[in-house]
Amino acid sequence: MHFEEIVRVALHALMDHKFRSFLTMLGIIFGVASVIAMLSIGEGAKREAIAKYQDLGVNNIIVREKKLSNAELEEVRARFSPGLSINDARVIKEIVPEVAQVAPQAEKESEVKMGDMSAKSTVIGITPAFIEILNYETEEGSFITADHYNNSLKVCVLGAGLANSFFSNQSALGKMVKVDDQWLEVVGVMKSKAVFTETVGELASRDLNNDVYLPLTTFNKRFAKENLLESEIKQITVRVNRSDKLMESAALIRSILDRHHFNNQDYSIVIPFELLKQEEKERQIYNILLGAIAAISLIVGGIGIMNIMLASVMERTREIGIRRAVGARKKDIMSQFVVEAVAISITGGLIGVVLGVVLSFSISLFTDVTTYIRVYSIFIAFFFSVLVGISFGYLPAKNAANLEPIESIRYE
Amino acid sequence: MLIEIKNLVKNYVMGDIQVQALRDINLTIDRNEYVAIMGPSGSGKSTLMNILGCLDTPTEGQYLFDNVDVSTLSDDELSAMRNREIGFIFQNFNLLPKMNSLQNVELPLMYAGIPKAMRRERAIEALERVGLADRMDHKPTELSGGQRQRVAVARALVTKPGILLADEPTGALDSKTGVEIMALFDELHREGNTLILITHEREIAEYSRRIIQIRDGLIFSDEENIRSDDVEEKIYKTRG
Repeated sequence: MHFEEIVRVALHALMDHKFRSFLTMLGIIFGVASVIAMLSIGEGAKREAIAKYQDLGVNNIIVREKKLSNAELEEVRARFSPGLSINDARVIKEIVPEVAQVAPQAEKESEVKMGDMSAKSTVIGITPAFIEILNYETEEGSFITADHYNNSLKVCVLGAGLANSFFSNQSALGKMVKVDDQWLEVVGVMKSKAVFTETVGELASRDLNNDVYLPLTTFNKRFAKENLLESEIKQITVRVNRSDKLMESAALIRSILDRHHFNNQDYSIVIPFELLKQEEKERQIYNILLGAIAAISLIVGGIGIMNIMLASVMERTREIGIRRAVGARKKDIMSQFVVEAVAISITGGLIGVVLGVVLSFSISLFTDVTTYIRVYSIFIAFFFSVLVGISFGYLPAKNAANLEPIESIRYE
Repeated sequence: MLIEIKNLVKNYVMGDIQVQALRDINLTIDRNEYVAIMGPSGSGKSTLMNILGCLDTPTEGQYLFDNVDVSTLSDDELSAMRNREIGFIFQNFNLLPKMNSLQNVELPLMYAGIPKAMRRERAIEALERVGLADRMDHKPTELSGGQRQRVAVARALVTKPGILLADEPTGALDSKTGVEIMALFDELHREGNTLILITHEREIAEYSRRIIQIRDGLIFSDEENIRSDDVEEKIYKTRG
């Protein structure tokens, strides 16, 4: 018997019992849908994490000053630590072999004013290297250039949020904003960045879209320190050539800084890539768990198929006997029932894929869980549903094929 | 010689005891014979039919079908044998209820691997032969008992088998319809088919040309049957 013939016979048998076939499919439908939904949740979480760390730079090492109380600050100064300085940045660049670029940054919390509007903002003094290290991009205008930096010009670049609230639809370029008592000319606006609600190491979460960037030289020249003990800069972002040298370079940076700070632990080192890897490892366990739950539902679906198929073989004993009497071989009967099981699981699998995709979109739409469907997960889910169909259809099909034609034809 | 059975024995194990259904059967049937195998229930006639129909194999002895030793065939070969050489007609018709007449008749051809177009053509031909060409699209439940049995006869005929093997073909029919089926058999016989009829009814056996009686697993008698005028008349009347 030809294959298409077998398929036709099997489909006919299923169509004869539409409701039953549908019920049999349900297990597979939910199994496949849950595999897809679970994988999409895992993938969504992964993408979110990658995006977060990508913003911090996967090849970067971030040296950040610890938040110290005044008393602690006095203590470390008494123990000769000068705190993070531009000199630290320079030394790191000179000594650590794999370092491509460093970007020191000074920070302060200030009120930024434009006309009668004002906003709380983090004012950041940076060097021109900053933008290339962090892969930031400007929406319009330019970032702080070497010219701005070398000449300590009174210019600034606004975060997207700030520019939007001050200038809404208008171009901010060439406009003046006032930070403390200093007027700065806007030379550029940053592209909007995702807001992170999580704190990574010493890096407190904040809305980067409200930042104001200006040359570090200008910053040091124009803005007085709030506290005389305060260190020169708050953060050094170090870009390393190769991500496999991150740990080594970090160790080297640590030993340099320890010496310069006379072993005062007034700074901390964050390696976003390492944090990413660690987080990924934790998430993997979670993903395996999710996958296992989904897989169990697929298996339960398979058992459902087996159950119904076994009952169906019993019910159709006579039919099988008739087919055998008119010349069906064991393997014809066998393939008929296997194909029925596979047809159930393929159809269930397809419906499950659709349901899974819908489920995944609904999850990201109605909850704050991010989901992302990768094409391979659809194939995996579908492939497993077919596999389940074959393996759980096999036993009933074998039973059917092994029925004695004489007895089955007289079966009432 | 189409069928040659030598010293055939068939034993069954039922629970703990062994039952000898057929003890020592010797039998030959030629092409174009019309044989009735008769016997009360428990005589072993059904067992003999199963073996003749290649549904079962003998415990001992030989069954040669057209010089092929059936007892040595594999399950697949037995299936092929049933498909090509045996046309079964059952008491309770054994049609597939979800299929219409045409599909039922096509069934053996499907397992013979015959392409769809030719299958259909031959099935229609067979249905025409039994006078049911106009009932092709009807399902068994939409047909009368006699019509169902005709569909079953068409299904048996469609592969042009070596023998037609009818097991109590009139058992589920009223007497008038039964006679119609017997008249159809008579025609098929005259057209050159070999018929074997299994029955416990003398009246039905009387339609055949040779009656073999089985008792307790043995052939009790094997005689030519000269049909009575009564039977001839019934057939004649039915043909109208």
